[in-house]
Amino acid sequence: MTRNPGRISLTPTRGTLSLFEIALLVICIVLVAAPIPQNLQDVIVLTFLWAGLATAWNIAGGYTGLISFGHAAFFGIGAYTSTILLVRMNVTPWAGIWCGGLLAALCGAILAVICARLRGPFFILSTLAAAEVIRIAALNWPSLTGGPEGLAISPSADAMNMVFASKHAYLALTLGYLLLTYVLTKLIDGSRYGYYLFATRDDEDAASAAGVNPLAVRTAALMLSAALSGIGGSLFAQYFLYLDPTSVISPELSFQFALLPAVGGLGTAIGPVLGSFLITPMSELLRSYLGSKVAGLHLAIYSALLIVVVLYFPSGIAGAVSRLLRRGGGKP
Amino acid sequence: MTALVQVENLGRLFGALWAVNGVSFAVERGELLGLIGPNGAGKSTLYNLLAGALTPTRGEIVFDGQRVTGWKSHQMARIGMARTFQIPKPYRRLSVVENVMLTAFQRRKSVRSARAFAEEILAEVGLSDHALAPVTTLTVGLLKRLEVARALALEPKLVLFDEIMAGLTPSEVGAMTSFVSTLPARGITVIWVEHVLHAIMRTATRVMVLDRGQLIANAAPKAVARDPAVIKAYFGEEMSLA
Repeated sequence: MTRNPGRISLTPTRGTLSLFEIALLVICIVLVAAPIPQNLQDVIVLTFLWAGLATAWNIAGGYTGLISFGHAAFFGIGAYTSTILLVRMNVTPWAGIWCGGLLAALCGAILAVICARLRGPFFILSTLAAAEVIRIAALNWPSLTGGPEGLAISPSADAMNMVFASKHAYLALTLGYLLLTYVLTKLIDGSRYGYYLFATRDDEDAASAAGVNPLAVRTAALMLSAALSGIGGSLFAQYFLYLDPTSVISPELSFQFALLPAVGGLGTAIGPVLGSFLITPMSELLRSYLGSKVAGLHLAIYSALLIVVVLYFPSGIAGAVSRLLRRGGGKP
Repeated sequence: MTALVQVENLGRLFGALWAVNGVSFAVERGELLGLIGPNGAGKSTLYNLLAGALTPTRGEIVFDGQRVTGWKSHQMARIGMARTFQIPKPYRRLSVVENVMLTAFQRRKSVRSARAFAEEILAEVGLSDHALAPVTTLTVGLLKRLEVARALALEPKLVLFDEIMAGLTPSEVGAMTSFVSTLPARGITVIWVEHVLHAIMRTATRVMVLDRGQLIANAAPKAVARDPAVIKAYFGEEMSLA
Protein backbone atom coordinates (compact mmCIF):
# COMPACT_ATOMS: atom_id res chain seq x y z
CA MET A 1 0.00 0.00 0.00
CA THR A 2 1.63 3.25 -1.07
CA ARG A 3 0.50 6.30 0.83
CA ASN A 4 1.64 8.96 -1.62
CA PRO A 5 4.86 9.67 0.25
CA GLY A 6 6.03 13.24 0.37
CA ARG A 7 2.70 14.71 -0.59
CA ILE A 8 1.92 17.91 1.26
CA SER A 9 -1.74 18.20 2.05
CA LEU A 10 -4.10 20.04 4.34
CA THR A 11 -6.11 16.86 4.45
CA PRO A 12 -3.56 14.17 5.31
CA THR A 13 -4.16 10.44 5.19
CA ARG A 14 -7.10 9.72 7.46
CA GLY A 15 -6.16 9.49 11.09
CA THR A 16 -2.67 11.00 10.80
CA LEU A 17 -1.49 14.45 11.88
CA SER A 18 0.09 16.84 9.41
CA LEU A 19 2.85 19.35 10.11
CA PHE A 20 0.36 22.07 9.29
CA GLU A 21 -1.94 20.95 12.09
CA ILE A 22 0.90 20.86 14.62
CA ALA A 23 2.09 24.34 13.56
CA LEU A 24 -1.45 25.68 13.90
CA LEU A 25 -1.72 24.21 17.40
CA VAL A 26 1.56 25.87 18.45
CA ILE A 27 0.30 29.23 17.15
CA CYS A 28 -2.95 28.78 19.09
CA ILE A 29 -1.09 28.02 22.33
CA VAL A 30 1.09 31.10 21.82
CA LEU A 31 -2.06 33.20 21.30
CA VAL A 32 -3.48 31.93 24.60
CA ALA A 33 -0.41 33.01 26.58
CA ALA A 34 0.67 36.09 24.63
CA PRO A 35 0.04 39.61 26.00
CA ILE A 36 -2.42 40.87 23.39
CA PRO A 37 -4.85 43.81 23.67
CA GLN A 38 -8.15 42.79 25.24
CA ASN A 39 -10.32 43.55 22.22
CA LEU A 40 -8.19 41.22 20.09
CA GLN A 41 -8.36 38.55 22.79
CA ASP A 42 -12.14 38.80 22.55
CA VAL A 43 -11.91 38.07 18.84
CA ILE A 44 -9.61 35.09 19.45
CA VAL A 45 -11.91 33.62 22.10
CA LEU A 46 -14.80 33.80 19.65
CA THR A 47 -12.63 32.36 16.88
CA PHE A 48 -11.66 29.34 19.01
CA LEU A 49 -15.23 28.86 20.18
CA TRP A 50 -16.64 29.02 16.66
CA ALA A 51 -13.93 26.72 15.33
CA GLY A 52 -15.02 24.17 17.94
CA LEU A 53 -18.71 24.66 17.15
CA ALA A 54 -18.11 24.36 13.42
CA THR A 55 -16.08 21.20 14.04
CA ALA A 56 -18.97 19.80 16.09
CA TRP A 57 -21.45 20.62 13.32
CA ASN A 58 -19.16 19.03 10.72
CA ILE A 59 -19.45 15.59 12.38
CA ALA A 60 -23.13 15.54 11.42
CA GLY A 61 -23.20 17.89 8.43
CA GLY A 62 -19.88 17.16 6.74
CA TYR A 63 -19.10 13.57 7.68
CA THR A 64 -22.59 12.09 7.82
CA GLY A 65 -24.38 14.35 5.35
CA LEU A 66 -26.91 15.48 7.93
CA ILE A 67 -26.91 19.13 6.90
CA SER A 68 -28.52 20.88 9.86
CA PHE A 69 -29.78 24.44 9.99
CA GLY A 70 -30.92 23.92 13.56
CA HIS A 71 -27.75 23.45 15.56
CA ALA A 72 -28.47 26.62 17.52
CA ALA A 73 -31.08 24.51 19.32
CA PHE A 74 -28.38 22.21 20.72
CA PHE A 75 -26.19 25.21 21.44
CA GLY A 76 -29.06 26.91 23.27
CA ILE A 77 -30.00 23.79 25.22
CA GLY A 78 -26.40 23.54 26.45
CA ALA A 79 -26.25 27.23 27.30
CA TYR A 80 -29.57 27.21 29.15
CA THR A 81 -28.91 23.95 31.00
CA SER A 82 -25.63 25.01 32.59
CA THR A 83 -26.90 28.53 33.26
CA ILE A 84 -30.19 27.40 34.83
CA LEU A 85 -28.32 24.88 36.97
CA LEU A 86 -25.93 27.63 38.11
CA VAL A 87 -28.40 30.50 38.59
CA ARG A 88 -31.32 28.55 40.03
CA MET A 89 -29.65 25.59 41.77
CA ASN A 90 -26.11 26.81 42.31
CA VAL A 91 -24.60 23.85 40.47
CA THR A 92 -21.08 24.59 39.26
CA PRO A 93 -20.80 24.98 35.46
CA TRP A 94 -17.87 22.56 35.58
CA ALA A 95 -20.59 19.91 36.05
CA GLY A 96 -23.34 21.87 34.29
CA ILE A 97 -21.65 21.93 30.88
CA TRP A 98 -21.62 18.12 30.76
CA CYS A 99 -25.31 18.05 31.75
CA GLY A 100 -25.99 20.50 28.93
CA GLY A 101 -24.07 18.28 26.53
CA LEU A 102 -26.04 15.22 27.62
CA LEU A 103 -29.39 16.95 27.25
CA ALA A 104 -28.39 18.25 23.80
CA ALA A 105 -27.34 14.71 22.82
CA LEU A 106 -30.73 13.41 23.92
CA CYS A 107 -32.47 16.02 21.76
CA GLY A 108 -30.14 15.06 18.90
CA ALA A 109 -31.25 11.44 19.25
CA ILE A 110 -34.93 12.43 19.22
CA LEU A 111 -34.39 14.56 16.11
CA ALA A 112 -32.51 11.75 14.36
CA VAL A 113 -35.26 9.23 15.02
CA ILE A 114 -38.15 11.56 14.14
CA CYS A 115 -36.48 12.79 10.96
CA ALA A 116 -35.04 9.37 10.03
CA ARG A 117 -37.04 9.21 6.81
CA LEU A 118 -36.23 12.73 5.65
CA ARG A 119 -33.44 13.41 3.21
CA GLY A 120 -31.73 16.45 1.73
CA PRO A 121 -33.79 19.64 1.80
CA PHE A 122 -36.53 18.01 3.85
CA PHE A 123 -34.12 17.10 6.62
CA ILE A 124 -32.68 20.63 6.53
CA LEU A 125 -36.14 22.17 6.86
CA SER A 126 -37.04 19.88 9.74
CA THR A 127 -33.93 20.92 11.67
CA LEU A 128 -34.78 24.58 11.09
CA ALA A 129 -38.30 23.97 12.38
CA ALA A 130 -37.12 21.96 15.38
CA ALA A 131 -34.80 24.79 16.43
CA GLU A 132 -37.66 27.28 16.17
CA VAL A 133 -39.75 25.04 18.46
CA ILE A 134 -36.97 25.15 21.06
CA ARG A 135 -36.55 28.92 20.70
CA ILE A 136 -40.28 29.59 21.10
CA ALA A 137 -40.43 27.24 24.07
CA ALA A 138 -37.54 29.15 25.70
CA LEU A 139 -39.33 32.46 25.04
CA ASN A 140 -42.57 31.27 26.60
CA TRP A 141 -41.31 29.45 29.66
CA PRO A 142 -40.18 32.36 31.85
CA SER A 143 -40.27 30.42 35.13
CA LEU A 144 -37.44 28.25 33.80
CA THR A 145 -35.63 30.33 31.19
CA GLY A 146 -36.43 33.89 32.21
CA GLY A 147 -38.39 34.24 28.95
CA PRO A 148 -37.41 37.13 26.65
CA GLU A 149 -35.58 38.89 29.49
CA GLY A 150 -33.10 36.05 29.64
CA LEU A 151 -30.78 34.97 32.42
CA ALA A 152 -27.70 36.68 33.80
CA ILE A 153 -24.75 35.05 35.54
CA SER A 154 -23.12 36.96 38.39
CA PRO A 155 -20.03 38.66 36.88
CA SER A 156 -17.84 38.42 39.99
CA ALA A 157 -14.82 36.30 39.22
CA ASP A 158 -15.06 32.87 40.82
CA ALA A 159 -13.30 29.80 39.44
CA MET A 160 -16.05 27.52 40.84
CA ASN A 161 -18.60 29.47 38.79
CA MET A 162 -16.31 29.38 35.72
CA VAL A 163 -16.15 33.18 35.74
CA PHE A 164 -12.70 34.67 35.32
CA ALA A 165 -11.24 38.17 35.36
CA SER A 166 -8.47 37.25 32.95
CA LYS A 167 -9.10 36.70 29.24
CA HIS A 168 -6.28 34.16 29.25
CA ALA A 169 -8.53 31.77 31.18
CA TYR A 170 -11.26 32.06 28.53
CA LEU A 171 -8.70 31.65 25.76
CA ALA A 172 -7.46 28.45 27.40
CA LEU A 173 -11.03 27.24 27.98
CA THR A 174 -12.15 27.80 24.40
CA LEU A 175 -8.94 26.39 22.94
CA GLY A 176 -9.46 23.34 25.15
CA TYR A 177 -12.97 23.04 23.72
CA LEU A 178 -11.67 23.33 20.17
CA LEU A 179 -9.09 20.62 20.91
CA LEU A 180 -11.78 18.34 22.36
CA THR A 181 -13.91 18.59 19.22
CA TYR A 182 -10.89 18.33 16.93
CA VAL A 183 -9.36 15.29 18.61
CA LEU A 184 -12.72 13.49 18.54
CA THR A 185 -13.05 14.32 14.85
CA LYS A 186 -9.57 13.00 14.11
CA LEU A 187 -10.30 9.80 16.01
CA ILE A 188 -13.48 9.33 13.96
CA ASP A 189 -11.66 10.23 10.75
CA GLY A 190 -9.21 7.35 11.06
CA SER A 191 -11.60 4.75 12.42
CA ARG A 192 -14.13 2.20 11.25
CA TYR A 193 -16.92 4.40 12.63
CA GLY A 194 -15.72 7.27 10.47
CA TYR A 195 -16.10 5.09 7.41
CA TYR A 196 -19.62 4.17 8.54
CA LEU A 197 -20.46 7.88 8.58
CA PHE A 198 -19.01 8.44 5.09
CA ALA A 199 -20.85 5.41 3.72
CA THR A 200 -24.18 6.49 5.18
CA ARG A 201 -23.64 9.95 3.72
CA ASP A 202 -22.65 8.80 0.23
CA ASP A 203 -25.07 5.94 -0.35
CA GLU A 204 -27.39 4.59 2.26
CA ASP A 205 -28.52 1.53 0.26
CA ALA A 206 -24.93 0.48 -0.34
CA ALA A 207 -24.09 1.10 3.32
CA SER A 208 -26.87 -1.16 4.56
CA ALA A 209 -25.89 -3.82 2.02
CA ALA A 210 -22.46 -3.68 3.68
CA GLY A 211 -24.03 -4.42 7.07
CA VAL A 212 -24.08 -0.82 8.31
CA ASN A 213 -27.27 0.24 10.11
CA PRO A 214 -27.89 3.74 8.72
CA LEU A 215 -30.35 4.80 11.42
CA ALA A 216 -27.92 3.86 14.19
CA VAL A 217 -25.08 5.67 12.45
CA ARG A 218 -27.09 8.83 11.85
CA THR A 219 -28.37 8.84 15.43
CA ALA A 220 -24.90 8.39 16.91
CA ALA A 221 -23.41 11.12 14.70
CA LEU A 222 -26.16 13.61 15.49
CA MET A 223 -25.91 12.85 19.22
CA LEU A 224 -22.16 13.47 19.31
CA SER A 225 -22.48 16.61 17.20
CA ALA A 226 -25.32 17.90 19.41
CA ALA A 227 -23.48 17.11 22.65
CA LEU A 228 -20.39 19.03 21.52
CA SER A 229 -22.55 21.93 20.33
CA GLY A 230 -24.27 22.00 23.73
CA ILE A 231 -20.93 22.15 25.54
CA GLY A 232 -19.96 25.07 23.29
CA GLY A 233 -23.23 26.78 24.19
CA SER A 234 -22.41 26.53 27.90
CA LEU A 235 -18.99 28.09 27.31
CA PHE A 236 -20.64 30.89 25.32
CA ALA A 237 -22.98 31.62 28.26
CA GLN A 238 -20.06 31.58 30.71
CA TYR A 239 -18.17 34.03 28.54
CA PHE A 240 -20.95 36.57 27.94
CA LEU A 241 -22.58 35.96 31.37
CA TYR A 242 -25.96 36.58 29.81
CA LEU A 243 -28.27 34.69 27.50
CA ASP A 244 -31.72 35.09 26.02
CA PRO A 245 -33.53 33.02 23.39
CA THR A 246 -32.55 35.35 20.54
CA SER A 247 -28.85 35.37 21.36
CA VAL A 248 -28.44 31.59 21.70
CA ILE A 249 -31.16 29.91 19.58
CA SER A 250 -31.53 32.23 16.59
CA PRO A 251 -31.57 30.93 13.00
CA GLU A 252 -28.63 33.28 12.25
CA LEU A 253 -26.61 31.29 14.76
CA SER A 254 -27.65 28.03 13.09
CA PHE A 255 -26.56 29.36 9.70
CA GLN A 256 -23.19 30.29 11.15
CA PHE A 257 -22.77 26.67 12.30
CA ALA A 258 -23.23 25.46 8.73
CA LEU A 259 -21.44 28.32 7.02
CA LEU A 260 -18.00 28.02 8.63
CA PRO A 261 -17.48 24.35 7.65
CA ALA A 262 -18.86 25.07 4.17
CA VAL A 263 -16.32 27.86 3.69
CA GLY A 264 -13.46 25.87 5.20
CA GLY A 265 -14.21 22.51 3.57
CA LEU A 266 -17.04 20.12 4.44
CA GLY A 267 -16.16 16.66 5.67
CA THR A 268 -12.52 17.41 6.39
CA ALA A 269 -11.22 17.75 9.94
CA ILE A 270 -9.32 20.98 9.29
CA GLY A 271 -12.01 22.64 7.14
CA PRO A 272 -14.28 24.02 9.89
CA VAL A 273 -11.22 25.28 11.80
CA LEU A 274 -9.91 27.15 8.75
CA GLY A 275 -13.41 28.47 8.10
CA SER A 276 -13.68 29.92 11.57
CA PHE A 277 -10.10 31.24 11.63
CA LEU A 278 -10.85 33.17 8.45
CA ILE A 279 -14.47 34.22 8.89
CA THR A 280 -14.82 34.92 12.61
CA PRO A 281 -11.98 37.49 12.90
CA MET A 282 -13.02 38.99 9.57
CA SER A 283 -16.60 39.54 10.63
CA GLU A 284 -15.59 40.83 14.07
CA LEU A 285 -12.99 43.23 12.68
CA LEU A 286 -15.31 44.44 9.93
CA ARG A 287 -17.92 45.04 12.59
CA SER A 288 -15.61 47.00 14.88
CA TYR A 289 -13.98 49.13 12.16
CA LEU A 290 -16.94 49.75 9.87
CA GLY A 291 -19.98 49.05 12.03
CA SER A 292 -19.78 52.46 13.68
CA LYS A 293 -19.13 54.43 10.47
CA VAL A 294 -21.59 53.14 7.89
CA ALA A 295 -24.35 51.06 9.40
CA GLY A 296 -24.64 47.67 7.67
CA LEU A 297 -21.53 48.08 5.50
CA HIS A 298 -19.64 45.38 7.38
CA LEU A 299 -22.48 42.93 6.72
CA ALA A 300 -22.51 43.79 3.02
CA ILE A 301 -18.75 43.19 2.69
CA TYR A 302 -19.00 40.02 4.74
CA SER A 303 -21.78 38.68 2.53
CA ALA A 304 -19.92 39.57 -0.66
CA LEU A 305 -16.84 37.68 0.56
CA LEU A 306 -18.99 34.66 1.35
CA ILE A 307 -20.46 34.66 -2.13
CA VAL A 308 -16.96 34.75 -3.61
CA VAL A 309 -15.88 31.79 -1.49
CA VAL A 310 -18.95 29.74 -2.32
CA LEU A 311 -18.65 30.51 -6.05
CA TYR A 312 -14.94 29.99 -6.51
CA PHE A 313 -14.03 27.49 -3.79
CA PRO A 314 -16.90 25.00 -3.73
CA SER A 315 -14.81 22.45 -1.84
CA GLY A 316 -13.80 25.09 0.70
CA ILE A 317 -10.46 26.52 1.63
CA ALA A 318 -9.08 23.10 2.55
CA GLY A 319 -9.99 21.70 -0.87
CA ALA A 320 -8.62 24.71 -2.76
CA VAL A 321 -5.31 24.80 -0.89
CA SER A 322 -4.84 21.03 -1.20
CA ARG A 323 -5.33 21.29 -4.96
CA LEU A 324 -2.88 24.18 -5.14
CA LEU A 325 -0.22 22.26 -3.19
CA ARG A 326 -0.73 19.19 -5.35
CA ARG A 327 -0.33 21.24 -8.52
CA GLY A 328 2.80 22.94 -7.13
CA GLY A 329 4.38 19.64 -6.12
CA GLY A 330 3.61 17.92 -9.42
CA LYS A 331 0.94 15.27 -9.89
CA PRO A 332 1.31 12.46 -7.32
CA MET B 1 -27.78 -30.11 5.74
CA THR B 2 -30.81 -27.97 4.83
CA ALA B 3 -30.92 -25.71 1.80
CA LEU B 4 -29.10 -22.37 2.12
CA VAL B 5 -32.15 -20.45 0.93
CA GLN B 6 -35.75 -21.56 1.21
CA VAL B 7 -38.40 -19.25 -0.22
CA GLU B 8 -42.10 -20.07 0.24
CA ASN B 9 -44.94 -18.36 -1.63
CA LEU B 10 -43.11 -15.01 -1.64
CA GLY B 11 -45.11 -12.01 -2.84
CA ARG B 12 -44.77 -8.26 -3.00
CA LEU B 13 -47.58 -5.90 -3.92
CA PHE B 14 -46.92 -2.44 -5.42
CA GLY B 15 -50.27 -0.66 -5.46
CA ALA B 16 -52.47 -3.12 -7.33
CA LEU B 17 -49.59 -4.97 -9.00
CA TRP B 18 -47.92 -8.09 -7.70
CA ALA B 19 -44.30 -7.44 -8.74
CA VAL B 20 -43.43 -10.84 -7.30
CA ASN B 21 -46.23 -13.33 -6.84
CA GLY B 22 -46.27 -16.73 -5.18
CA VAL B 23 -42.61 -17.49 -5.80
CA SER B 24 -41.21 -20.60 -4.09
CA PHE B 25 -37.75 -22.08 -4.58
CA ALA B 26 -34.76 -23.43 -2.73
CA VAL B 27 -31.04 -22.86 -3.27
CA GLU B 28 -28.56 -25.52 -2.19
CA ARG B 29 -25.12 -24.65 -0.90
CA GLY B 30 -22.56 -24.45 -3.68
CA GLU B 31 -25.03 -23.76 -6.46
CA LEU B 32 -24.57 -21.18 -9.19
CA LEU B 33 -28.15 -20.32 -9.93
CA GLY B 34 -29.03 -18.22 -12.95
CA LEU B 35 -32.07 -15.97 -12.70
CA ILE B 36 -33.39 -14.65 -15.97
CA GLY B 37 -36.54 -13.08 -17.32
CA PRO B 38 -37.71 -10.15 -19.44
CA ASN B 39 -37.46 -6.58 -18.17
CA GLY B 40 -40.06 -5.91 -15.50
CA ALA B 41 -40.39 -9.60 -14.66
CA GLY B 42 -39.65 -8.92 -10.98
CA LYS B 43 -36.00 -9.97 -10.77
CA SER B 44 -34.85 -6.84 -9.00
CA THR B 45 -37.87 -6.93 -6.68
CA LEU B 46 -37.07 -10.54 -5.83
CA TYR B 47 -33.48 -9.51 -5.05
CA ASN B 48 -34.66 -6.62 -2.90
CA LEU B 49 -36.95 -8.99 -0.99
CA LEU B 50 -34.17 -11.53 -0.44
CA ALA B 51 -31.63 -8.87 0.59
CA GLY B 52 -34.02 -7.14 2.97
CA ALA B 53 -34.29 -3.88 1.00
CA LEU B 54 -38.03 -4.54 0.62
CA THR B 55 -40.45 -6.21 3.02
CA PRO B 56 -42.52 -9.03 1.53
CA THR B 57 -46.28 -8.56 1.41
CA ARG B 58 -46.61 -12.28 2.02
CA GLY B 59 -44.55 -15.43 2.12
CA GLU B 60 -41.53 -16.63 4.04
CA ILE B 61 -37.76 -16.52 3.55
CA VAL B 62 -35.44 -18.88 5.40
CA PHE B 63 -31.70 -18.24 5.08
CA ASP B 64 -29.07 -20.57 6.51
CA GLY B 65 -31.62 -22.27 8.76
CA GLN B 66 -32.99 -19.00 10.12
CA ARG B 67 -36.39 -17.42 9.41
CA VAL B 68 -35.45 -13.97 8.09
CA THR B 69 -38.74 -12.69 6.65
CA GLY B 70 -38.95 -8.92 7.21
CA TRP B 71 -35.31 -8.51 8.20
CA LYS B 72 -33.55 -5.30 7.16
CA SER B 73 -30.67 -5.04 4.65
CA HIS B 74 -27.93 -4.56 7.21
CA GLN B 75 -29.17 -7.58 9.19
CA MET B 76 -29.11 -9.76 6.07
CA ALA B 77 -25.61 -8.55 5.24
CA ARG B 78 -24.42 -9.42 8.73
CA ILE B 79 -25.58 -13.03 8.41
CA GLY B 80 -23.79 -13.45 5.11
CA MET B 81 -25.99 -12.31 2.24
CA ALA B 82 -24.16 -9.96 -0.15
CA ARG B 83 -25.52 -8.20 -3.19
CA THR B 84 -24.49 -5.95 -6.04
CA PHE B 85 -26.63 -3.14 -7.43
CA GLN B 86 -27.72 -3.10 -11.04
CA ILE B 87 -26.89 0.60 -11.19
CA PRO B 88 -23.61 0.78 -9.26
CA LYS B 89 -23.91 2.62 -5.95
CA PRO B 90 -20.36 3.54 -4.98
CA TYR B 91 -19.53 5.82 -2.04
CA ARG B 92 -18.71 8.79 -4.24
CA ARG B 93 -16.34 10.63 -1.95
CA LEU B 94 -14.21 7.60 -1.03
CA SER B 95 -11.42 5.90 -2.90
CA VAL B 96 -11.83 2.50 -4.54
CA VAL B 97 -10.09 0.61 -1.75
CA GLU B 98 -12.11 2.48 0.89
CA ASN B 99 -15.30 1.45 -0.89
CA VAL B 100 -14.32 -2.18 -0.45
CA MET B 101 -13.06 -1.69 3.11
CA LEU B 102 -16.54 -0.70 4.23
CA THR B 103 -17.85 -4.16 3.45
CA ALA B 104 -14.69 -5.82 4.79
CA PHE B 105 -15.36 -4.20 8.18
CA GLN B 106 -18.15 -6.72 8.78
CA ARG B 107 -15.59 -9.40 9.58
CA ARG B 108 -12.43 -7.34 10.23
CA LYS B 109 -12.70 -4.67 12.85
CA SER B 110 -9.36 -2.89 12.48
CA VAL B 111 -8.78 -0.44 9.65
CA ARG B 112 -5.43 -2.06 8.89
CA SER B 113 -6.78 -5.59 8.44
CA ALA B 114 -9.84 -4.39 6.52
CA ARG B 115 -7.58 -2.46 4.16
CA ALA B 116 -5.29 -5.44 3.64
CA PHE B 117 -8.25 -7.71 2.90
CA ALA B 118 -9.83 -5.12 0.59
CA GLU B 119 -6.57 -4.98 -1.37
CA GLU B 120 -6.61 -8.78 -1.77
CA ILE B 121 -10.14 -8.63 -3.14
CA LEU B 122 -9.23 -5.77 -5.51
CA ALA B 123 -6.37 -7.86 -6.86
CA GLU B 124 -8.80 -10.73 -7.52
CA VAL B 125 -11.16 -8.61 -9.60
CA GLY B 126 -8.33 -6.73 -11.32
CA LEU B 127 -8.79 -3.34 -9.67
CA SER B 128 -5.43 -3.10 -7.87
CA ASP B 129 -4.19 -0.36 -10.17
CA HIS B 130 -7.16 1.78 -9.21
CA ALA B 131 -7.07 1.18 -5.45
CA LEU B 132 -6.32 4.80 -4.55
CA ALA B 133 -8.34 6.39 -7.33
CA PRO B 134 -11.49 8.32 -6.47
CA VAL B 135 -14.46 6.19 -7.60
CA THR B 136 -15.70 9.07 -9.74
CA THR B 137 -12.87 8.35 -12.19
CA LEU B 138 -13.95 4.74 -12.87
CA THR B 139 -15.57 3.59 -16.11
CA VAL B 140 -18.82 1.60 -16.03
CA GLY B 141 -16.94 -1.65 -16.45
CA LEU B 142 -14.67 -0.87 -13.51
CA LEU B 143 -17.63 0.25 -11.39
CA LYS B 144 -19.27 -3.14 -12.03
CA ARG B 145 -16.09 -4.84 -10.85
CA LEU B 146 -16.10 -2.62 -7.79
CA GLU B 147 -19.65 -3.80 -7.05
CA VAL B 148 -18.44 -7.40 -7.22
CA ALA B 149 -15.43 -6.61 -5.03
CA ARG B 150 -17.60 -4.98 -2.39
CA ALA B 151 -19.97 -7.93 -2.29
CA LEU B 152 -17.15 -10.46 -1.98
CA ALA B 153 -15.44 -8.45 0.77
CA LEU B 154 -18.35 -9.46 2.99
CA GLU B 155 -17.12 -13.07 2.73
CA PRO B 156 -20.73 -14.00 2.08
CA LYS B 157 -22.46 -17.37 2.17
CA LEU B 158 -24.67 -16.19 -0.66
CA VAL B 159 -24.11 -13.44 -3.19
CA LEU B 160 -26.77 -11.90 -5.43
CA PHE B 161 -25.23 -10.58 -8.65
CA ASP B 162 -27.39 -8.12 -10.56
CA GLU B 163 -26.24 -7.60 -14.17
CA ILE B 164 -22.57 -7.31 -13.37
CA MET B 165 -21.66 -7.70 -17.05
CA ALA B 166 -23.78 -4.94 -18.58
CA GLY B 167 -21.44 -2.51 -20.29
CA LEU B 168 -18.43 -4.83 -20.29
CA THR B 169 -16.34 -5.58 -23.36
CA PRO B 170 -16.43 -9.17 -24.72
CA SER B 171 -13.04 -10.00 -23.19
CA GLU B 172 -14.15 -8.58 -19.86
CA VAL B 173 -17.29 -10.71 -20.08
CA GLY B 174 -15.15 -13.80 -20.55
CA ALA B 175 -12.91 -12.96 -17.60
CA MET B 176 -15.84 -12.16 -15.34
CA THR B 177 -17.65 -15.36 -16.31
CA SER B 178 -14.70 -17.54 -15.42
CA PHE B 179 -14.20 -15.62 -12.20
CA VAL B 180 -17.81 -16.05 -11.08
CA SER B 181 -17.72 -19.76 -11.91
CA THR B 182 -14.90 -20.24 -9.36
CA LEU B 183 -16.94 -18.83 -6.48
CA PRO B 184 -19.03 -21.93 -5.54
CA ALA B 185 -15.83 -23.92 -5.00
CA ARG B 186 -14.81 -21.27 -2.46
CA GLY B 187 -17.99 -21.83 -0.47
CA ILE B 188 -19.88 -18.88 -1.94
CA THR B 189 -23.27 -19.76 -3.34
CA VAL B 190 -24.31 -17.50 -6.23
CA ILE B 191 -27.59 -16.27 -7.64
CA TRP B 192 -26.95 -14.42 -10.86
CA VAL B 193 -29.24 -12.13 -12.82
CA GLU B 194 -27.79 -11.45 -16.24
CA HIS B 195 -28.90 -10.58 -19.75
CA VAL B 196 -25.67 -11.96 -21.23
CA LEU B 197 -27.35 -15.34 -21.61
CA HIS B 198 -24.52 -17.42 -22.96
CA ALA B 199 -22.55 -16.70 -19.79
CA ILE B 200 -25.42 -17.90 -17.61
CA MET B 201 -26.16 -20.92 -19.78
CA ARG B 202 -22.53 -22.00 -19.73
CA THR B 203 -21.84 -21.64 -16.02
CA ALA B 204 -25.11 -22.02 -14.10
CA THR B 205 -25.96 -25.32 -12.44
CA ARG B 206 -29.62 -24.36 -12.67
CA VAL B 207 -31.66 -21.55 -14.19
CA MET B 208 -34.85 -19.99 -12.87
CA VAL B 209 -37.03 -17.92 -15.16
CA LEU B 210 -39.26 -15.18 -13.84
CA ASP B 211 -42.09 -13.69 -15.91
CA ARG B 212 -44.66 -11.16 -14.68
CA GLY B 213 -43.74 -11.85 -11.08
CA GLN B 214 -44.07 -15.61 -11.32
CA LEU B 215 -41.58 -18.42 -11.62
CA ILE B 216 -42.26 -20.11 -14.98
CA ALA B 217 -39.24 -22.41 -15.10
CA ASN B 218 -36.70 -23.83 -12.68
CA ALA B 219 -34.41 -26.45 -14.21
CA ALA B 220 -31.03 -27.23 -15.75
CA PRO B 221 -29.89 -24.65 -18.37
CA LYS B 222 -30.44 -27.00 -21.31
CA ALA B 223 -33.97 -27.88 -20.23
CA VAL B 224 -34.82 -24.22 -19.67
CA ALA B 225 -33.55 -23.24 -23.11
CA ARG B 226 -35.95 -25.77 -24.67
CA ASP B 227 -38.93 -24.92 -22.45
CA PRO B 228 -41.73 -23.57 -24.72
CA ALA B 229 -43.08 -21.24 -22.02
CA VAL B 230 -39.63 -19.71 -21.52
CA ILE B 231 -39.04 -19.35 -25.23
CA LYS B 232 -42.35 -17.54 -25.61
CA ALA B 233 -41.76 -15.22 -22.68
CA TYR B 234 -38.13 -14.41 -23.16
CA PHE B 235 -35.97 -15.89 -25.88
CA GLY B 236 -38.31 -15.50 -28.79
CA GLU B 237 -36.44 -18.38 -30.40
CA GLU B 238 -34.66 -21.48 -29.19
CA MET B 239 -31.38 -20.76 -27.48
CA SER B 240 -28.37 -22.23 -29.16
CA LEU B 241 -25.98 -23.74 -26.67
CA ALA B 242 -22.91 -24.04 -28.81
